[in-house]
Amino acid sequence: MARGVSRFAARVVIALAALSVIVPLLWTLLSGFKNRVDIVTPTPMLFFTPTLENFTYVLERESVRAGLVNSIIVSGCSVLIGAVLGLPCAYAVARYPMRFAHDIQFFVLSLRFLPPVAIAIPLIVIWLDVGLYDTRTALIVTYSLLTLATTIWLAIPAFKRVPAEIEEAAFVDGYGPYAIFFLIALPIAWKSLIGAIVFSFVLVWNEFLIALMLTTSDAKTLPVVASEMTQLGRDVPWGILNASVILLSLPPLLFLGVLSSFLSSALKTRNQG
Amino acid sequence: MRLRAALAATVGGALILAVGLARDANAEAVCTHDLRVLAQPRDGLTLLEKYKDEFKALSGASFDIDYLNENDRRAKSRADASTVGKYNVYYIDEANVALFAKSKWVAPLLDYYPKEYDFADFDPGRQKVATFDDVVYFAPLTGGGDLMVYRKDLLEKAGLKPPTTLDEFIAAVKKLHDPDHGVYGIALRGQRGSGANVWRWMPYFRGFGGKWFDGNKPVFDDEPAVKATQVYLDLFKYSPPGTKTGSWDESTGAFLSGQVALLIESTPLAGEAIDPKVSKVVGKVGYAPPPTPLTGGGYGHGLAIGAKGNKDDAAKKCAGLFIAWATSKENEKRRLDDGEFGELNRTSIIASDEFNQKFGADLGQALAETAKVTAVNFWQDPEWPNLGDHWGIELEELITGTRTDIKGSLDELNTYAKGLVANRK
Amino acid sequence: MKIRTHLPIVFTAPTMAVLAVLAFVPTVYAIDTALQNRELSNTDSAYVGFANFRALFSDPRFLNSVWVSVEWELITVVTTMAVAIPLAILMFEATSPKVRNALCVLFIVPVLLPRVSAAFVWRFAFHPLFGLAVYPLRLITGHPIDLLADPHTAMAAVAVVDVWQWGLLFAVIIVKLLETLPRQPLEAALLDHARTWEVYAYVALPMLRAALVSLVFVKMVESLRAFDLIYVMTRGGPGITTETLDMYAFSQGFIESGRISYASSMAVLMMIATTVAFTILWRRARRWQEV
Repeated sequence: MARGVSRFAARVVIALAALSVIVPLLWTLLSGFKNRVDIVTPTPMLFFTPTLENFTYVLERESVRAGLVNSIIVSGCSVLIGAVLGLPCAYAVARYPMRFAHDIQFFVLSLRFLPPVAIAIPLIVIWLDVGLYDTRTALIVTYSLLTLATTIWLAIPAFKRVPAEIEEAAFVDGYGPYAIFFLIALPIAWKSLIGAIVFSFVLVWNEFLIALMLTTSDAKTLPVVASEMTQLGRDVPWGILNASVILLSLPPLLFLGVLSSFLSSALKTRNQG
Repeated sequence: MRLRAALAATVGGALILAVGLARDANAEAVCTHDLRVLAQPRDGLTLLEKYKDEFKALSGASFDIDYLNENDRRAKSRADASTVGKYNVYYIDEANVALFAKSKWVAPLLDYYPKEYDFADFDPGRQKVATFDDVVYFAPLTGGGDLMVYRKDLLEKAGLKPPTTLDEFIAAVKKLHDPDHGVYGIALRGQRGSGANVWRWMPYFRGFGGKWFDGNKPVFDDEPAVKATQVYLDLFKYSPPGTKTGSWDESTGAFLSGQVALLIESTPLAGEAIDPKVSKVVGKVGYAPPPTPLTGGGYGHGLAIGAKGNKDDAAKKCAGLFIAWATSKENEKRRLDDGEFGELNRTSIIASDEFNQKFGADLGQALAETAKVTAVNFWQDPEWPNLGDHWGIELEELITGTRTDIKGSLDELNTYAKGLVANRK
Repeated sequence: MKIRTHLPIVFTAPTMAVLAVLAFVPTVYAIDTALQNRELSNTDSAYVGFANFRALFSDPRFLNSVWVSVEWELITVVTTMAVAIPLAILMFEATSPKVRNALCVLFIVPVLLPRVSAAFVWRFAFHPLFGLAVYPLRLITGHPIDLLADPHTAMAAVAVVDVWQWGLLFAVIIVKLLETLPRQPLEAALLDHARTWEVYAYVALPMLRAALVSLVFVKMVESLRAFDLIYVMTRGGPGITTETLDMYAFSQGFIESGRISYASSMAVLMMIATTVAFTILWRRARRWQEV
């Protein structure tokens, strides 16, 4: 009997947690379709006449379009660099005993420790002095630091999970070490590697502080543009803000499925390995 | 065969004509690339964006406006003007004219403002605020002084006459404060900023006889400042929640939604109060000049030509043309038609019949009366934003209760002010 | 692999070189700028030695920001674990695997959102006049409350968003870890008449100790990146009650007077502090994990 009650209580708590996710997000989604007058009422309105004006306004603004393009280019390029340089490096650390293996892992992880502000401030000065302030190049180079560190950090365990026997069998069959990497290790570990790459993409897509400090008008990424809209102050256009926040959040959420299964497999094999 | 030839000739002729006409149009092009404008959200500017095609036909290029709230706009325009100069036109306000002019971040406006757009038509008070060292730097988009705006119905119900002195005002605020029925006595600004909480605080400071500087010596750390702060903090008890960290939007928003009895705010509020699109208190509002001894805060915001963003004379001419067009009589007329009271600056428009029809005669009279008590409340110096912002942070702390020592805070500000003056280059 | 090959060097050297440059150049520049008195609006500047660092230690706002940062770390790390662990246990005990999997996907959503978005969603929900989250309180008390403007509740309100994002993610991670635990020790404890919570406290959680320590570690690092939330929700206010170190450095370098050298000296201090702190913690954590 006591068990039943506590089970019920447990379910209530879980339901509350789930609601805490669903309700605010759904509310934001709904508000994106509301006219301002329906939002600024003392009693929250569930039924209202929807409008597409907010979304069209957001999508038509030059700054939003530019922000979207910038985000795509900057995130895409830095993730690419992270993958191209990072995956081989992770493989080498995972598979080949080296004197510096532990140190490399520590160094890479330590790059994740640094508070973004601490990196951004000197970078402002550097990019200003070099004349590349507020350019996509500056952002791509800066973000490559993040994507490289993240990709290597997450790819090392992924490569370690590739069964050594398969690689040794391939070696016996006459494959050279590079061939083993490209034709054996990569394909086997690709699911986890995709997860790692997608993770670094989400990381860079969501990044705000560095973008805020290193751009002023040309290279603004979408989070910066969205935040500028939320900080307008005067006659706050709540409907438009909700719409822009939704737009900003969509790309990472598209990868929800991929990241969810990445997380599951990473945790399952971790404890078995 | 002949038909084909004739057709070809016609098409060919049309093409040549078209090219020729296009050439002619381009010969007028003052601008070679799109202009970038950094501004604050203003209804007048949003309205302007609808007429991009008109500007394109006039100048050969279009424009893009980036909007930021006041504090961010100030920070960003400073950062941009001093470093990379990505923006061609800056929205600046009276508080930072001195800094921008002295640092040569903006170009003298009248050198590039075409005569046919009639700069002299602007309200003289606003022209004055746009001038530093006898040179004009911006063309006004908005400006004015202070008005005391009150709810006629609430005062009548309580049997009160509109207050004319500060003591009457405070008494009225206390009497009309009724939060259980959703009415607050007053609405003030709490948010930090030389143009935010400090701006609302200064009328009290100046009204009590306070002065910022005597030459290079700070002289504000004295009785008037302490008294002004005490009165301000005291009045905050009667101000709605949200105003403690809010600025213009929060306090006027509260008034327009019917939650406030009296307040003293910048003149554009008067226009908003009678606009049914944003006001729930249309028809219940009265205006008067601020109660004595409070002075009205004279201010003006407008568009200026960036120096770094426009490297050569041609670029400056383009920026000047944009500013002139944006503040032209035609565009002001459009704002008048749209009911944007706060964004009218030309005497020809303000004195026009349409203005009187739209906004009523007593508003016009209140404006005239308040012009007499409008003064420059701030320290007209390039270092003003720094000093004002520093005081704004301390004031916000005092308002939210994380600080309680008024005199101590003023002493700190005094030290800071001395540091500012000493570091002058 | 016991073959001699150039692969390790070919694969690691270029990447390490790039990383080294990307990491050390800013560090050197930060130190260099911290030793000057540079401001963004002026082009001339001079070397002033340690003047900036000395000024920092007598700057009450700096000391306040250090304290606020420490407070923020403590509150968010502790609350996150306090939410994640019980929630994970409840999910493990009281739901079927199908429901659990669905919940796991749901609970990852908050952390995927850009911080700026999450901050806005909750700022909107906390709005005193029409926010959904404070609506029930408004109904009960009749007065609107402004959580973000009250010095006592501002930090808690921002922390809610942080815990919302990370606490739920950690709950998912811990649930999945619980699923991989061998059943026998837990069943043995139950047979010994241990109550449910005792089973967890004394058997299951200690088995996960290594992972839990890693999670605390990760959260401590992530809490340093709270800038996005604070920037959108309070800007360091009301007053300076939520002004963490990174918010203060940002205001000095950007918003207030472009005092980039002063901000740089803070950046240098932050780099040193975090490197030292985390080297120590990393070594400790490794030792715990190896036990």
